Amino acid sequence: MSEFDAIVVGGGPAGSSAAMRLASAGHNVLLVEKADPPGSKNVSGGVLWGNDLEAVIPDWQKTAPVERYVKAKGVGFLTKDSNIGLEFRSSLFDKNRAGHMVLRAKLDQWLVKKAKDMGAMVASGITVDRVAFDKGKAIGVEQDGDLITSDCVILAEGANPRVAIDSGLREPLNDKDVAIGVKEVIKLSEKTVNERFNLRDKEGFAGEYVLGFLPDQVEAGGFLYTNKETISAGVVISMKHLRENDRTYSFDIIEQFLEHPAIAPLVDGGSVEEYSAHMVQEGGIERVPKLFGNGYMIAGDAAGFSFSNGLVLQGMNYAIASGIAAADTLIEAKKGNGVSEESLAGYRKRLLDSYVLKDLYNFRGIDEVTWGKLPHRAIPNALEHIMKGLFIEQGVPKKHLYQLMTEALGESGIRTSDAVLEGYRMLRRM
Amino acid sequence: MKLEDRLALLNYKIDRTYAHITVKPDICETCPDHFCTFSCPAKCYTLIDGKLNFKYEDCVECGTCVVACAHGSVSWTNSKGAHGVKYKYG
Repeated sequence: MSEFDAIVVGGGPAGSSAAMRLASAGHNVLLVEKADPPGSKNVSGGVLWGNDLEAVIPDWQKTAPVERYVKAKGVGFLTKDSNIGLEFRSSLFDKNRAGHMVLRAKLDQWLVKKAKDMGAMVASGITVDRVAFDKGKAIGVEQDGDLITSDCVILAEGANPRVAIDSGLREPLNDKDVAIGVKEVIKLSEKTVNERFNLRDKEGFAGEYVLGFLPDQVEAGGFLYTNKETISAGVVISMKHLRENDRTYSFDIIEQFLEHPAIAPLVDGGSVEEYSAHMVQEGGIERVPKLFGNGYMIAGDAAGFSFSNGLVLQGMNYAIASGIAAADTLIEAKKGNGVSEESLAGYRKRLLDSYVLKDLYNFRGIDEVTWGKLPHRAIPNALEHIMKGLFIEQGVPKKHLYQLMTEALGESGIRTSDAVLEGYRMLRRM
Repeated sequence: MKLEDRLALLNYKIDRTYAHITVKPDICETCPDHFCTFSCPAKCYTLIDGKLNFKYEDCVECGTCVVACAHGSVSWTNSKGAHGVKYKYG
């Protein structure tokens, strides 16, 4: 007889959602989190997309500690001098609040408290060492030499899944799995944030940028999200390309982003409140591990569930959806013949039926087009050339747009035929 | 803003008895790239007179170094007993 129906490892969105779902269905669940208070080791860029939390907290949009909702979404290509961008600012977002800016130390602590209120037992400040197995079945977790038993273990430990790796349930991570996320929270004031980003009340701006001005091989994206009275600004750096460069410091890249002429005025005069860093999962479907086995399931970032196509960057929604799917699978298994590899296979099926695995399969190989010379150098430079030709008046005869585009391709440093092929591949995959 | 000043903003509960990351000096000594020194966002890895110096106290637990080190020198475990970095915002 196990001490718990389920042990959930990790008090982030995936783990808390699983714990909430299980506890509210009357199951005896232990949520173990290494940080104390929960949330205090968790970092993310900062936009929670979607409405997956509704399944466990129906009124979350009104009660959760969210900062603002996405009223405007921007995408920009940065060269040394320019930002060539596109903005989608729409009242459609007022009716359908598609994204919310969050600060994870606050949000995750709240989610863990919710799980506790719903009946989960919470152990914070406790570090799980590995999953305990007996005759091929997960029977609980080991913590500092002690065994805590459960019918099922749900691993939801985030982007650096040490327990899964050390238990042999996931391969060690490599350059293809992760990027380096580095972030600062910069304090302005509510009024200043509103004025600079053209916002009112709870409206927020979420911007993502390609940093086309970085040295040599270095490739990174930037983000800027408005919170209530702070801004979350950061970069996501390709491990592979930083390694190829091997002379640029990760902590300098965020400063270069914040000092860019198009970004600096937005954060000017703000005081840096916090510096943080965390790996970002982005291995795609090919790097998703075996998701379940006899007595265990893996959810959220620990399973590699995140999505980036260069225009959006999402993870928390996949975490919540997969945490709930894991819980529902266990609930069903318990109603039937009990926990086994066979009964937990429903987890993968649930994910295949949802956007979680559908997105990852549909966007297979997306990393090959979101990183690379075309999006990170050729497109920013070409766009700048076209904009210069169109808008910087020089008292010379004007050129047709087509001519500017042809020239831009020539100047992009990539052969026209390659650019067309690569561009086509990129559009198809995005 | 200098990295040292950015790191000084953080709260840590430093574990004096347990280093959650360890490196193998003999491997680091012959390392051709020292990519850890460039990739670690908290500058826990520095070269002093060509020799790798590692300190875990400033670690923000991002996990980068264990992936960055291609030579098997870095051993990474989760911090224990709620030690390590404590974010206010996250």
